[in-house]
Amino acid sequence: MTEARAPQPSPRPPDDTVGLRGDSRPKFLASSIRVLELTLGEMLWSRRTVFMLLVVGGPVLIACLLRLLASLDLTPFGGDGGGSQPRVTGPAIFGLMVWGFYLRFTVPVLGVFYGTSLIANEVEDKTITYLFTRPVSRGAVLVGKYLGYLVCTSVVVLPSVTVVYFVIVPVLGGGVGENFPTFVTDLGLLVLGLAVYGALFAFVGAWFKHPLLTGLIFVFGWEPATMLIPGYMKSFTVSYYLQGLVPHAMPQEGAMSLIRSLVQAFQTPTSVWSNLAWLVVIWLSALVMAVWAVEHREYVLEQ
Amino acid sequence: MSPAVVSARSLSKWYGQVIGLNDVTLDIPSGVVGLLGPNGAGKSTFMKLVTGQLKPSQGSVEVFGRPIWGDPRAYARMGYCPDQDAFYERMTGLEWVTALTRLYGMDDAAAGQAATRALDTVGLSEVASRKIGAYSKGMRQRVKLAQAIANDPDLLLLDEPLAGMDPPNRRRTIGLIKTWARMGKTVVVSSHILQEIEMMTSTILLINNGRILAEGDVHQIRDLIDEHPHKVSITASDTRRVARSLVEDPHVLSLNFDGNRLVVETDQPDTFYTRLTALAAQGEVGTIDEVTSPDDNLQAVFEYLVKQ
Amino acid sequence: MPIHDQTYRHYDGPRVPLGSAWGVIAEAGLRALVRKKGFLLVMFFAWIPFVVQAVRLYLWANVPQMEMFAPSPQMFRQFFEQQGFFVLVVTIYAGAGLIARDRRAHALQLYLSKPLTRTEYVAGKLAILIVLLLMVTWVPAIGLLALQVAFAGELSFVRENLFLLPAMTVFGFVYALLASFTMLALSSLSTSTRFVAVLYSGVLLFTQAIATVLEAVMGHSSWSWLSFRANLAQVGDVVFRLAPRYDTPWAVSLFVVIGIVLVSVWVLARQVRGVEVVT
Repeated sequence: MTEARAPQPSPRPPDDTVGLRGDSRPKFLASSIRVLELTLGEMLWSRRTVFMLLVVGGPVLIACLLRLLASLDLTPFGGDGGGSQPRVTGPAIFGLMVWGFYLRFTVPVLGVFYGTSLIANEVEDKTITYLFTRPVSRGAVLVGKYLGYLVCTSVVVLPSVTVVYFVIVPVLGGGVGENFPTFVTDLGLLVLGLAVYGALFAFVGAWFKHPLLTGLIFVFGWEPATMLIPGYMKSFTVSYYLQGLVPHAMPQEGAMSLIRSLVQAFQTPTSVWSNLAWLVVIWLSALVMAVWAVEHREYVLEQ
Repeated sequence: MSPAVVSARSLSKWYGQVIGLNDVTLDIPSGVVGLLGPNGAGKSTFMKLVTGQLKPSQGSVEVFGRPIWGDPRAYARMGYCPDQDAFYERMTGLEWVTALTRLYGMDDAAAGQAATRALDTVGLSEVASRKIGAYSKGMRQRVKLAQAIANDPDLLLLDEPLAGMDPPNRRRTIGLIKTWARMGKTVVVSSHILQEIEMMTSTILLINNGRILAEGDVHQIRDLIDEHPHKVSITASDTRRVARSLVEDPHVLSLNFDGNRLVVETDQPDTFYTRLTALAAQGEVGTIDEVTSPDDNLQAVFEYLVKQ
Repeated sequence: MPIHDQTYRHYDGPRVPLGSAWGVIAEAGLRALVRKKGFLLVMFFAWIPFVVQAVRLYLWANVPQMEMFAPSPQMFRQFFEQQGFFVLVVTIYAGAGLIARDRRAHALQLYLSKPLTRTEYVAGKLAILIVLLLMVTWVPAIGLLALQVAFAGELSFVRENLFLLPAMTVFGFVYALLASFTMLALSSLSTSTRFVAVLYSGVLLFTQAIATVLEAVMGHSSWSWLSFRANLAQVGDVVFRLAPRYDTPWAVSLFVVIGIVLVSVWVLARQVRGVEVVT
């Protein structure tokens, strides 16, 4: 067994004993970055990331399946291409998957699942004590964990979208190059969605007693319900502004017409900049409220 | 007299209907202070209030002259070793302590050096690059200590630091605590075992049911316990024979028959137990089936103190 | 003599036969839940659709102009659909921690060191969820049928739809069993209640999303068997003698439902152990 050595004091700056040692603690953002570095490894290599990979692996599998069917000339994508019903091309399918799967499902679900548990996981694992007894503000801890969430989800989601893009867009003559600008916009949109939903549910996680249920009700209850109600109610959602930024042109006829009409029902007549501005407002205000909630709330650990 | 490092004034904390800490007023000076009390006495609640994890329901607690709740600045001079066994299991001991030390504002190199020094101090340098998930219980306890001391704090709060340690490590940790005190640090150690606290310090705070029962020198408190008459309940096959053997002993203050039990009051419990053991071994008083002490010593001291 | 002074004694009273301990687990679990205000609130909201439907039936029976509220098998089928949201909430709220909490507290060792088999343990936990889910599906559905008879004052609707009572019972139990087994199996995989809740809702929503996207792309619903919910809906339609809503053959949906239950049983058999062997 290793013998312990007598502790040697490290050099210290002059001390005013009753007061505080010179304020050498890191500033807010630097603290957040340090918390991010501390917890990033734990977040990336946990079971939760496996769950994330399964979620984003689904569309990749679908894309590969559709590509395989197309290569075997078994494409069932509505119509035979030669008659009155045009076929659905690869770019349209990609647009559908971005809208129908990533934006409507993956992004909000990851936001709910991980945003609501930024601090709650640390409390459940009882490791929050170490973070809250350091000379960093609790808000900085939350922001650091939030940045970790953003990095982890982006690292998992964006490659999935990229793979789907390169697999599915060439189906039935789609061009990878000509659709590239739209693809880049999609990537930006997804990151924005992850950021906004994550911030919103970080606040929900910091404030509410049952944040997961609250988040699920918001995403799968409130948001779809308000879309069906005419008027201004839909502006109290995130998806209203995100859907308004979706760049994809949908096919005019055939099997996709229903989907197109649904997309148009969600799209807003307001400008892109207006939607972006509102998203930034939601993002910032949710983060500020989350920081405030964490700074003022007590976390009693389970004994 | 050195200024108080930790000050509590009418400090109370309750969780719904449950009172965790009740109207505690005290000052903790520099040196080692033992916080002694049974399980559920309020030791951890007090520690959590002092470390700013809980907000006082009433009263105040100050560390280094400032209220600790909502003010992270005091943590720069504080190290806390919690009682719970919780870590980032995938990290190595060195990685974990270094990462936590960086939160004090040190750069990577300085934090690494401080972490290495801390792990060396607690005897974990050989396993520093092993994952914490592979550590034994004693190693886990020591790595917790390491993260608490890495930034060379002026105030150390150790919640049950010897839990799960084998005797050699307990001795070593007690030695470290005494060394830290000699270096001028303030160390508050909580435990429910009087002998452990006695080995570290002579200054204790006795807490029970959320209240401070006594504070001061441990010898004085021990004397108080010894002066207070102890009741011992004996169940035997022939309680009258046992009573006849004990009645002439000078340390036996009274004898009472309660059904098939004999309740003895003594002012020298150590001497009495030795005498009773000898009687049982000799077999002259029949069989002794059961020996219990209906007095909770800490409660007895509290009642004794309340009556004074 | 006061109980405090009596010290430890052997129990000499009557004992229930072995094999009935599952009832103790179920009862204890239900009692613990009923004490929570949040849970009672959820159950309160879960019965609101029942009240709405009851008012509909009352209006149909007493106001001649309200013929559009006439009862039909579709109405009862739709009632089960409407309760789907509350089934999800109750399953997550009550079920996520059923085994996860015991694993976290290392209580499985304690349970299984008593004269209690693993089957009884699982049966007790299952019973908690099944009872609760039946309370938000089958019980209110039966209540609606009873109210229909009461408001109508005669049994003609029931006589014309004799299959309805067994259909509601079969579907109610299939629904409760599927949700309970799945949740319990997921709960046995983790020590974190939150993670189990995430897993369960993820499975539901993810499979639904996949099936929806495939339906939109392919132009038909043959891929609905991928969706947990769609399979249940397909089986429900058949049980209620309605036209199946998806292109997937109903036998395939039933096979998937049975398969999920069997996989859940297998997971439970592997996970519910008194000792964890780490290699």
